[in-house]
Parts: sequence; C-alpha cells; structure tokens
Amino acid sequence: MRNKLILLAAAGAGAMLSASAAQSAELHFIRCGDNGLDQDRKVIAEFEVKYPGNTVNMENLPWGTCQDKSLKLAAAGSPPSVSYMGSRTLKQLADNNLVVPVKISEEQQQSYQPGVLGTVSYRDQFWGFPRAFSTKGLFLNCDIFEEAGLACEAPKTWDEMYETAKIIKDKTGKAGVGLTGKDFDNTMHQFLNYLYSNGGQVIDPSTNEITLNSKNTLETLKFYGKLVDVSQDGPTAFERTQVRDLFNDNKVGMYIDGPWARSQHKEGINTIAAAIPAGPSGVSGTLLITDSLAVFKGSGHEDLAMEFARMMTTGDSQYELDRPEGWGLTPILKYEELGYEKPYYMDDPYWKVFIDPIPTGGPEPLFVDYKAMQTTINSMIQGIILKDDTAENLVSIAAEELEEFK
Amino acid sequence: MMDHYSLPHKIFLYVCVALFLGFILLPFFEMFMTSLRPLEHLFRSPYQFWSDDFSFKAYAQMWVTVPMLPRYIANSMFISLSVTALALTFIIPAAYAYARFDFKGKTLSLGIFLAVNMFSGAVLLIPLYKLLRTYGMLNTYFAMIVPGAAFLVPMGIWLLKSYLEKIPRELEEAAFMDGASRLYTLRRVVLPLAVPGLMVVGVAVFLSAYAQQFLFAITFNSVKEFMPLPAGILEFIGFQSVKWNQMMAASIIGILPVLVIFLFLQRYLVAGLTAGALKE
Amino acid sequence: MTHASGDTLALQGESRGPSQKQQARLNGLMRSQATFAWALIAPAALYLMLVVAWPLVETIRLSFTNANIGGEAYIGTANYEKLFSSRKFSQTISRTFYWMFLSVSLKIVLGLIGATLLNAAIPGRALFRMLVMPPWIVPVAIGCFGWLWLYNGHFGIISGVLQYVGILDGPFEFLAYKNSAFYSAVITDVWVGLPMVTIFLLAAMQGVPRDLYEAAYVDGASRWYRFRRITIPQILPVIITMSILSIIWTFNSFEIIWILTEGGPRSATTTLIIDTYKMAIANYKFGQGAARAVVVVTLLSVFSLVYLFALHQIKKRFEAV
Repeated sequence: MRNKLILLAAAGAGAMLSASAAQSAELHFIRCGDNGLDQDRKVIAEFEVKYPGNTVNMENLPWGTCQDKSLKLAAAGSPPSVSYMGSRTLKQLADNNLVVPVKISEEQQQSYQPGVLGTVSYRDQFWGFPRAFSTKGLFLNCDIFEEAGLACEAPKTWDEMYETAKIIKDKTGKAGVGLTGKDFDNTMHQFLNYLYSNGGQVIDPSTNEITLNSKNTLETLKFYGKLVDVSQDGPTAFERTQVRDLFNDNKVGMYIDGPWARSQHKEGINTIAAAIPAGPSGVSGTLLITDSLAVFKGSGHEDLAMEFARMMTTGDSQYELDRPEGWGLTPILKYEELGYEKPYYMDDPYWKVFIDPIPTGGPEPLFVDYKAMQTTINSMIQGIILKDDTAENLVSIAAEELEEFK
Repeated sequence: MMDHYSLPHKIFLYVCVALFLGFILLPFFEMFMTSLRPLEHLFRSPYQFWSDDFSFKAYAQMWVTVPMLPRYIANSMFISLSVTALALTFIIPAAYAYARFDFKGKTLSLGIFLAVNMFSGAVLLIPLYKLLRTYGMLNTYFAMIVPGAAFLVPMGIWLLKSYLEKIPRELEEAAFMDGASRLYTLRRVVLPLAVPGLMVVGVAVFLSAYAQQFLFAITFNSVKEFMPLPAGILEFIGFQSVKWNQMMAASIIGILPVLVIFLFLQRYLVAGLTAGALKE
Repeated sequence: MTHASGDTLALQGESRGPSQKQQARLNGLMRSQATFAWALIAPAALYLMLVVAWPLVETIRLSFTNANIGGEAYIGTANYEKLFSSRKFSQTISRTFYWMFLSVSLKIVLGLIGATLLNAAIPGRALFRMLVMPPWIVPVAIGCFGWLWLYNGHFGIISGVLQYVGILDGPFEFLAYKNSAFYSAVITDVWVGLPMVTIFLLAAMQGVPRDLYEAAYVDGASRWYRFRRITIPQILPVIITMSILSIIWTFNSFEIIWILTEGGPRSATTTLIIDTYKMAIANYKFGQGAARAVVVVTLLSVFSLVYLFALHQIKKRFEAV
C-alpha cells in the first residue's frame, strides 16, 4: 500500500514538474573524483545549448565523501538534481522515496551489456542510469610464479588455485594469493566473485528471499579459510588497493582486481589476467558492479535532470568514460552494435577476460540497508579469516542477520 | 645537594627521557620518512631507513596535487582562532561570576556546566546537523566554529575560574569603592591581572579546537573553500591510489607554523598553570 | 565566602576609613551580586542550551522513533529493548570500560613518570619539555595517519625493525588481529592524551613548595620517599582532575579508532562512541543511534559521579594519614 502511494505521489510530482521544466533551472550535479572532468564539462556545455536557459552546477567531490554528501543533502530536504551513486544504494533510496524511477527506452535497454540493468532494477523499475561498470579477473604475477618454479598459467579451479598458492608460499615465502578482509566494500566484493564462481547467491532478487545459507556459500567460506594459510599476513587489515601495493612489491602471487588494474601495476613486472577460477559447484563467474547517475526527488526539475543524466550516460560521453584513456572500465554498452568501429575492447585478449564472464556473473546484492548487509557479510568473512568460529555457524548467523536488512 | 644526581643516575634519567620522547616523537619520524619516499618506494619491503632516491620532491609536488593546500592550512588556524575567540567571550564573564560571587544555584549551575564536558559532539551529530541547517549555517565556517566552541566552554570556565580565584579581591573592592562600575572593574582591574590565566585557557581551548576539527568539518561542511587541513588532506586519496608521501609532507608543513608557536609557548603554559590554575 | 570578604573589608575599613556613601554603595553591590552573576553567566548558559541542551533533548526524542533518511515515526521504547537484549551491545559496553580503564591508567602512570623526568634538574630539560608537546598540538586525525603507517606490517617501521632484529620472522599487521588492534588503538590514544597530562602534572609538581622537599632531604629521606610522601599528596588534586578529564575524553575518543580500524576487525575496537556513530551517521539509522547516544551519556554521567565520590573518599583518607 505504502509503495503504491509513493508511486502515485511520484507520478503526480512528475506531471507537475514537466510543466515547470520549461522555465530555466539550475541543475545541481554531484560527481566523484578528478578523472574525466573535462569530458563531463563538454556534456554540460552540450546540454546547456540544447536546453537554453538551464545551467548545470557541477560539484566535484573526493571519492570518500561524494555519495555521503548526496544522501545527506537528500535527507536534509535539499537534494541534488543528479548524483553519482553506487547502484547498491538505489534500493534504499527508492524505498525511502528519495529518488525517482528513470525512464529507459526499449531501444536504450537493448544497448546495455547483459546484467547491467539488473543492478539498477527494483520493483520492476529502473532507479538510475548505469554509469560505470566493472567485472573482475584474477591477476598473476609471473615473476613470482617463475621464482616458485611454476609456469605462469592461471589456475582454472579452486583446487588448482590453492595448490599453486601453496607452492608459491612454500618455495618463495611470499603470499600465494592476496586476500582482502578489512570492513570495506571491496572485501565483500572479492568474496562475491568467489561465491558467484561457485553458483552461490546472497539474495534472490525475484523473491527477495535470503539465499545465503547454502552449500555454495559454505564451500566458498571454507575455501577462504584455506586461502588464509597461503595469503599475506593479516588479510583483515587489507582492502583491495593495499593488496595491489603488495602485488606491485612482488609479495603476492595472485589477486583479484578490475580491468583498471593494468594501468595501476608497476612497470616492469610481468602480469597476466585470467578468469576467476571456478568453485566445485559452479562455473567461473564475476561480480557485476555498476555505479549510476541517480535522479533525486524534490529538486523541482526531475525531468530535466533525467534528460541530463541520459545525455551523460549515452553515446560518446559514456564511451569516453569507459575506454582505457578514461576510467578503463568494462564496457557498459555494446558499442560494437551502436556503430562504433572497433571499440577498444574488440579482439583484445585482455578485455576478453573481463567481458566473457558477464553472462555468468551476479550483481551486487540489493538490500534496503546495504551498509548493514555489507557489515554482516564482512563480519562473516573476517570470522573465518580470524578463525573465530566454524564456517557453518558464520554462514547461518549471517543469513539470519540479513533477514532484517532486505 | 638535593638536586645532585650521581652519574649512573643521570644516565638512567637520560635513557628514560629518550624512551619517553622516543614514544612521543616516533609517529612524526615515520611521517617525515614517509614524506621523503618516492611513491613507488613507499610500498617496498623490507623496510629501508635510507635509500638514494629519497628526496624532498613531495614537498614541491603537493601544492600541485592539492592546489587549495595553503587555504586549508589557513582555514585550520582561522577556525581554531575563531573558536577560541568565541569561546573566551562566553568563558570570561561566566568564570568571573563563579570565581567571585556567591549566589543561589551556584554549585548546581556549575555542575551542569561541567556535565556538558561529558558530551562529545560525536553523539549529538544528528540534532546538531538539524540545528545548523535551521540557522542556515551548514557549509559555512560557522558550521565548524559554533559547535566547536560550545564543547570547550565548560572546560574553559572551569580552568579560568580556579585561576581567577587566586587573584586577591582587595584590588577589585578598592576599585568599587572608588566608584568604578562592576564591568569597568572586570575589564580594567581583573583581566589585566588574569593575563597568564587567560593565556593558559586560551592555549588549551585553541589546541583542543585545532586538534578536533576533523569530525565537524567532514559532517557539517562540504565546501572545499572552508575545509580545515585534516579534512583537506583527504584529497590526496585518489580514485585508485593514495599519494601518501605528499599527504604526509602536507601534514608536516601544515602543522608546522602552529607547532613552532606552541613549542615556544609551552614555557608560559607551564608557568601559567603553576601560578594558579587547577589547584582547588 | 561572603563572610571572609566581610572581614577583609573590615580591615580595610580601619585603615582607609570608607565614607558612609562608599559603604552604602558596597552594600548595594553585595545585594545585587546574584543578579549580576547571573547576567555574566547568561550568555554562556544560553549558548550551551542552544548548542548542547537542545540537541540532547532532541536526541532523547529521536531515541523513541525509527528515524532514518526516509522519515521518522514514534515507536516507543523499541530501540532500547533491542539494545538491551543484544549481546553485542553489552560486549561493547564492557569493551568501552576496559578501553577507558587501560588508556586512562597508562596516561596517568606515564604522565607521572614523564612529569618527574621533565622536572628533574638535568641539562636539556627546557628542550625536553618542548619536545613533549607535539601530539597535543597536531590535529588528532593527522597524528593518526602517522600511526597508521607505524602499524603497517609490510611497510611500517615497527614491523620492519622487529623483523630486522629477528623478533618477527615475517610481516605482522598490527591492526589485523583482534587483540593487537585493540592494544594498538589504546597505545595511540595514550599517545594523544599523554602530553597534556604530563604538562599539567609537571606544572603541579613545580607548584609544590620547595621547602617541603628540603626539610625532608635534611631529614635524610630518599627520593622515592619524597616522591611518595610529598609529591603525590601535594599534586593529588591535579591527578584527580586529569584522570577525570582523561576518562571523559577517552570514553568519547572517536577519531583515533575511526581512522585506525573503524571499530574492526570483527568489532574488536568498537567502543560505544564508534557504535553510535556507525549506527547513526554511517548507516543513517538516526533513531537507533540516538538510543545509543542516550545510553552513552547516562553511563558516563553515572560513572563520573561514582568515580568522583570514590576519589573524594580516597583523598580524605590520604589527607588523614
């Protein structure tokens, strides 16, 4: 009932606002980080030409604070018009009536890579324009493999992965595999890569049922428990960029990272990227993450804001962001079908690693209280890393706790 | 003599002092060493105390990475000075009242003031946010100054009160009898005598304000131009990597002016404290 | 107090002979002093009412609601019921008190040692007194970034040196394990609070009349005896003041833990303040956060009163000996 009311209210507000959109408005746009500023300015200029009289006030904030600021502004009743948000926050934003559902045409829907729209869907609507897309792969430091007397070949299964890591640890004293365990988003992300490669799932998006308590999760968590013995010291103090620092320092044989990692790796070390090894109950998969441009409710010009967000996330604007000279992301659109001639990822074995597993990947689980969900999952992971409890107990406790946050 | 130490005793004392100061200064040493390392060297193990590629480059590059750095350094000082000024305007009259007069409700109201000491801004953030929003102070300097000063007023009243109590009241009474008004007496007789005490309180308030501006800044302000240094240096944290060497260099340079001033004020601080404050 | 000043006045009256008029003026002032005192206190009182008391009342109100980013509704005592039935929360309470006890004791003991060292008549002490100040002066957040590096097991100096001398046979991440993370956070908290305690105790030691020591010295009392029987009783009020201030600050210490560990791993460094902040600010559960804030304030008030009372008794006994 409450949901219905919200929808009605949203529709009503939308109708009223389209009338006012003709007048001049100043859009407040919040974005994160310094990368790609010029490209965004270009789109803003185009927008201001296309919709004369309207202006865009772009606020560029550091990564650590940008999303919190948008939420804070929304909670305080002065929401931004458009803001860069992790798609995992959309369910919470939608449930609290802070964002409006966005209209994505059939045609536009077809242009997305599979799985992308799943990260912004909830209650049969889209709650943001997918903006940045990433998948993950396993990176190998071939110098360490060589030092351990191994051929630099990626393990295909978890058993192979553990064996490889153990040989590295035994032969070189270095960490066979890098693990993240800090209470950070990417600790959960890394775990989900393994979970999805073992046929597991946290929540069923269609029924909203918690599906964490499964044999698949149990196997994954137990595998983590094994990996701790062949990983760097103290995974609970590490998040992904710190593991990468160790990798760059030739201290870690393998770790999971996104396609941008290539440009972050130190020159002179030999690396290869490969698909994430498959667990005993699944096939190699990946976590599909998107960030989105969300259109906030109550700015007074939601339709115009939606138009601006659409311009930002389509065509060249999106391509500039995705390509290696931009953020270096997994392509979010099927550019080859959109008339781009030989987009950056075509016929490139590196990009194949990140594009091939998309169909077998899974989204960041959507929860109303995603932060609490993240804390719960991370606590489960830390529990096995610190050998606090049995995998069985950790999984069932986590699954139980999650009920409250869906 | 009483103050004479035997040689072994002296050595023992110096060793203890070295250990004590070693503990105090270790993080600064580490910050300094970090600032000298090239970025790719920061994440190289095993730990190296020195290598040929150590340099002061970060001290030059940091102004380019974060162009607003001078502004952040100045903001930190400006905010702390404003907090101190604002807090003192509330502290001085109240402390004088508690030091000099007997009235109904004195103990109780003083107790309530002291109880405020127990609250930290961290537990009251949400209502404070609403309050600042209501008065349109969010994202202004006031967002950091107004709550910053409030939590320091009780401590200041307490410190200054015990100091003022040491000043002989005969002088004031003589002034009254000569026809001076109470406020005139406070301004012209009491305050000049209380200068060492005011220094102590001012320094304590300033240092607390300077040390603790992080939380209010990240919660109540998101305008870059108003950010104090501890929040400003977060800009060295990028999308994929942190420029730790520059961040540490910026921290060291940023705190240096205040550090130098207060290292030398320390003597007066100890003297001021010895002279009066805090002896009940 | 009024009585005492009356005496002083009488004395002055004899020497200077105030006129009737002056005496009347003084009496008038005496009578109006309550009004004047309140007028002096009023600005501070109003300010704190607005910035502290009102938010506190608002917090209490919020604690009976389910306030979050989407809105709020009255839900009675549900937040409190949930809190008190949670085992995690009671663990957080005992952890907070352990944290406070450990950190405050270390600050006082090390502060006494430091003040004694800085008070010793050795060449260089002026310099040493300066060098003790920095942790007090630098913003806590900045000092903590330095500690973050120190505790880094792979690239930090502590682990590096310990490996070099052979105490560790590989990197050790101080913030990765429950116990080491907790004690690391305690050490950093001590580091932040120690200079102030040391300086205040030093000032107090310097205020002890020298003739007390000289008399004891002539009587052949050892240094330790003089410290125990003269210094400690003389500076006891300051020790008490500093321990109370330390208790309050340590209890409320936020930035240190937040920057070092954010309360982890697995809540090993989650104190009440961290728990409150996480709930209210990081997770936007204002209602549940407010209930925690109310518990924090209540606990701290009760604890401080009990502690003050206990210390008062000890002080009395000390003075009686």
